[in-house]
Amino acid sequence: MTALAADRRTFLKGLGLLGAATLVPGCATSSKSPGSGSAASGELALQSNLSSEQAKAAMEKLVAAYNKTGGSQVKLNTVASEIFRTQLPTYLTSANPPDVYTWYAGSVADSYAKKDLLLDVSSVWDSMGNYSKAMQTLSTSSAGQKIFVPTSYYWWGMFYRKSNFAKWGVTPPKTWAEFVAVCKTIQSKGIPPIGIGLGDTPWVASAWFDYLNIRINGAPFHRQLLAGQGNFTDPKVKAVFTKWREVLPYFDPKGKSFPFQEATSALLAGKTGMFLIGTFFADSAPKDALDDIDFFQFPIIDPAVPVAEEAPTDGYFASKKVQDVDGTKKFLTWLATAEAQEIYVQNSSGTAIPANPDGKSADTPLVRKGKAMIEGAAEITQFFNRDSSDALQPTADAALTKFLDKPDQIDKILADWQAAAQKVFKA
Amino acid sequence: MFWPAVQGFWLALTSWDGLSAPRFVGLGNFSDMVSDPIFRTALKNTAIWLVLFGGLSVVGGFGMALLLQKERRGVGIYRAALFTPVVFSLVVTALIWRVFYQPDGLVDTVFRTVGLGNFIRPWLADPDTALYAVIVPALWRQIGYVMVLYLAGLKAVDPALYEAAKVDGASAWQRTRYVTIPQLKGVNSVVLSVIVIDSLRSFDIVWSMTKGGPYHSSELLSTYMYSTAFQSTQLGYASALAVVIFVLALAVILGYLIRAFREET
Repeated sequence: MTALAADRRTFLKGLGLLGAATLVPGCATSSKSPGSGSAASGELALQSNLSSEQAKAAMEKLVAAYNKTGGSQVKLNTVASEIFRTQLPTYLTSANPPDVYTWYAGSVADSYAKKDLLLDVSSVWDSMGNYSKAMQTLSTSSAGQKIFVPTSYYWWGMFYRKSNFAKWGVTPPKTWAEFVAVCKTIQSKGIPPIGIGLGDTPWVASAWFDYLNIRINGAPFHRQLLAGQGNFTDPKVKAVFTKWREVLPYFDPKGKSFPFQEATSALLAGKTGMFLIGTFFADSAPKDALDDIDFFQFPIIDPAVPVAEEAPTDGYFASKKVQDVDGTKKFLTWLATAEAQEIYVQNSSGTAIPANPDGKSADTPLVRKGKAMIEGAAEITQFFNRDSSDALQPTADAALTKFLDKPDQIDKILADWQAAAQKVFKA
Repeated sequence: MFWPAVQGFWLALTSWDGLSAPRFVGLGNFSDMVSDPIFRTALKNTAIWLVLFGGLSVVGGFGMALLLQKERRGVGIYRAALFTPVVFSLVVTALIWRVFYQPDGLVDTVFRTVGLGNFIRPWLADPDTALYAVIVPALWRQIGYVMVLYLAGLKAVDPALYEAAKVDGASAWQRTRYVTIPQLKGVNSVVLSVIVIDSLRSFDIVWSMTKGGPYHSSELLSTYMYSTAFQSTQLGYASALAVVIFVLALAVILGYLIRAFREET
């Protein structure tokens, strides 16, 4: 008995150690406090949310390349993207904030500029005359200053495996009617036609809302709605959901339980037919499977509505409180060059397209097709949170996941959404 | 130590986005709460959580302590096994259980094996099951903890009392009811405080399993407070929620303490 007791004691001691070991990394992440990249003069702190493995490695290469050019030394601080998003307001308002940040163009950047937190980078744009008009507009604040330096963009599309489409005998649809027919055929083979991943990443559903809205009501209406000038109880918004309901039976029921990364695996394994997603999904896909991947444009619903596509633009902005203004602007000017953007594209998964028109994108049929689709679009939208604000996104997540579950309650859902959005716009 | 708490009370009376200066709105946040359907769900879920999580962990922990209090061969292994979940961080627990709940995961397999395949649903993604699916792993962890508290309490009960009861012809049930339970009064108040505090701050396990979703159906006051503060950056409203949580915790514990004191005098 005593021997047993002693054993137990050592066992418990071991458990205790195990417990301590699990606690330690917990502490390490929680101590990652805002402002940890405080910069001494001559050194710039770059706060990056590009935390997926390939993107992070590319950022390290990019910074190393700049540090060789002899400007201020840049120190890269990569933060997990979800933490970065929630901490960004804290970073920007702290007394000694990091200098430069990766973030998104459009009204989401403008929302920080309105609070006077961003550095005016108009002089950086002097060297960026070749950038498109759309990029300029996206980078300009409502006060008319340039506050953002775009470096790359990507596209959203309906991705599928070429070999599976051939096996099922379907071809990429162009119109809504053709799309529904494709769904029917794939379902008759026993495969859920439309994949989705909402567990943990409920914002993926916003892509459906965005696309249906820009296809039915057009991009200007969509933008106004997200800017708080519309109303989610508008019959035009309800029409979006009526259309969506037509294809609800074709969604993968398991998609509610897992995140988009697993939905990607399901698509690649042939367990779903197609998947509306941005090209960043390639980060969690094996390289060899990518050769079999193709996409088609979100089907046209009303040919009278000018075609818009979602092409989110990524880039950088800087804190208003930077100490080394010249050094920061020099770094941003370098980031805007084709050379810098190519370094990033070559070292990441390669599905991002340089924002500088002179920058070469990865030379694959997929990227060429994506780039052509965006260039042919009459209008460009960013994405739900980027066209509104990070604060509005959770209201969309709640409304859209509820709709997917209980489409009957659409009127109540839209009323609740409007009430929640109202609160965000007032705050 | 108290300054942030005082500041929290002040922020609860303001509308603040974390960037600009807080704007005083009086009791506006609290009147908003009355008409906020998500707040009502969160309040209801917190009550369910308090009753189910609190109640079952007391019953389970006490039962396990009674079963395992006698020194028998190998009893230590059982005690250690029940206590093991306590040493895992809640986030790790949540990760393990999420794998169990996955489509075609362990839980689904078990249901199929026992012929209940029809009951299978997306456990964490179904608004009817999400909250309960999160309570199970929370209980899995808490029962071991409560058991240890009760084991310590049981060890402190004077064995002479049991012998006296036995001599008087009391059955095993009577010995538990009239000797053990009254003797554990001190432990009970500790357990109650721990349970109330633990259930009101149960945040990590819900957040890492469902984030309060799908569409707020498994939202607790604590997760709702977090998401309003850091996702929607409505820090004034979130502070008001924090005040509500504080008042609730205080009310439950004070209520118990007052009753306990009254019984003593």
